[in-house]
Amino acid sequence: MVKGFIAANGMEKKRTSDESEPGSILLSQVDRFGFIKLEQNSSEGLTKSRPTNEHEREETRIKKWRKMVGVGGSDWKQYVRRKPHVVKRRIRKGIPDCLRGLVWQLISGSRDLLLMNPGVYEQLVIYETSAAELDIIRDISRTFPSHVFFQQRHGPGQRSLYNVLKAYSVYDRDVGYVQGMGFLAGLLLLYMSEEDAFWLLVALLKGAVHAPMEGLYLAGLPLVQQYLFQFEQLVKEHLPKLGKHFSEEVVNPSMYASQWFITIFSYSFPFPLALRIWDVFLYEVSKTLEELRQDYEKRNGGPLGQAGSTNRQLRAINHKEFSIMTEISNCVQKDDLSS
Amino acid sequence: MDSSSSSQPEFDYLFKLLLIGDSGVGKSSLLLRFTSDSFDDLSPTIGVDFKVKMVTIGGKKLKLAIWDTAGQERFRTLTSSYYRGAQGIIMVYDVTRRETFSNLADVWAKEIDLYSTNQDCIKMLVGNKVDKESERVVTKKEGIDFAREYGCLFLECSAKTRVNVEQCFEELVLKILDTPSLLAEGSAGVERNIFKQKPPQADASTSSCC
Repeated sequence: MVKGFIAANGMEKKRTSDESEPGSILLSQVDRFGFIKLEQNSSEGLTKSRPTNEHEREETRIKKWRKMVGVGGSDWKQYVRRKPHVVKRRIRKGIPDCLRGLVWQLISGSRDLLLMNPGVYEQLVIYETSAAELDIIRDISRTFPSHVFFQQRHGPGQRSLYNVLKAYSVYDRDVGYVQGMGFLAGLLLLYMSEEDAFWLLVALLKGAVHAPMEGLYLAGLPLVQQYLFQFEQLVKEHLPKLGKHFSEEVVNPSMYASQWFITIFSYSFPFPLALRIWDVFLYEVSKTLEELRQDYEKRNGGPLGQAGSTNRQLRAINHKEFSIMTEISNCVQKDDLSS
Repeated sequence: MDSSSSSQPEFDYLFKLLLIGDSGVGKSSLLLRFTSDSFDDLSPTIGVDFKVKMVTIGGKKLKLAIWDTAGQERFRTLTSSYYRGAQGIIMVYDVTRRETFSNLADVWAKEIDLYSTNQDCIKMLVGNKVDKESERVVTKKEGIDFAREYGCLFLECSAKTRVNVEQCFEELVLKILDTPSLLAEGSAGVERNIFKQKPPQADASTSSCC
């Protein structure tokens, strides 16, 4: 499989406008997230000229977070149970970059999946073949091409990305591989190992603690259609002037927003914004579902059936989940994004 | 700007063009070369994207709204609605990948029949990546034959070296200008249309990756 990957990509030549060897990129040429800086990069100032007191504040913040998470995440669940409001407040301010990978795994439920399924990922990567292999290969070098980790042809970044996507396309053959998944996997791989990234993808799409999001990629893209519909209604409701203007000009959300949802905001948004959205999205969506479940059980005196949930409940949940997504992007944008 | 539709429009015609074809054949690269004369490593198009370009062709001031679609099959549920009302459709294949050419007959021509609402819509066949001459597997003659059979214009080009890119759009537009029924639709001020005036967030920002 990996062999095929190398052979097929070897045919394409590195584009001529980029003369530098992938290995020769200087640290000063990349931003704090590892993306190669454009000449007039607006985030230039943030990396270097941070005042010292801000640096100290950051240190204190990380200390608090370490305490909250515990060694390897051992204290997390208890902390969340005891002080959910503190967790929520801190997550909204942004998870410290050094703990992001671990915390994402804890709040998405992927850690538990990993522990419950030893050896499964390896099996999928090494022994299984996927009908989507060629499609995946074609997109590998087109995923975050300006990030140092993914830039090098056949380098560790591109190999991991291929492995995760191939493994998922085998794990769920109904979904297979759909363009856009690469950006989810790529984002995750910047913060965790291949196997961890794979299980987080599973947790998200199959719904470990969230409602499953595989509808983003299933035939007909049902969840994308739903989000687009809801988004349009929300614009009309909350921004009536804009909504009216859009409908007069026959501009509908599928023209500009399908890529937001298909890649869960990881494709075209500035990277720091995408990260902050993911922080809040992963945590609050699962929290909301938990609240809805408790609420349901209180009202109906019984547990919420897994497969037996009625459409109405699902719609309510999805609607809630969706409004959170938009709320998040609003609040993050207003927030000091540049930090 | 409010006066643009009533007194003097900023353009004579607005045309809606559409790019279709398999994933990775270079649709977005063609468009980027045409609209900003550059070539770059691009991310796959997710869903749809668009760019707007003002040009003067055949003595007419034209506003081109060009829709770029994702090639992957799963996205057709999103892209199919963009055939509606297009005056020109560009079918792109990669001269170094046979299956992207055979899919024109198997998939893309059928999509046009199914979704295009414009009887007189002009079709154009474009074979991209001629800069990789040594890897070519689809001959020029095959392209010409296909175009003849399906009633399309035809060109081979390279988004990378810019060979023939402008000509692709120019020939297509000239043919549209030659077709009275399409002209009537595209006339400025005739009907409310997408991007009648300023498009929301036209070029650069829509397709850039972080």
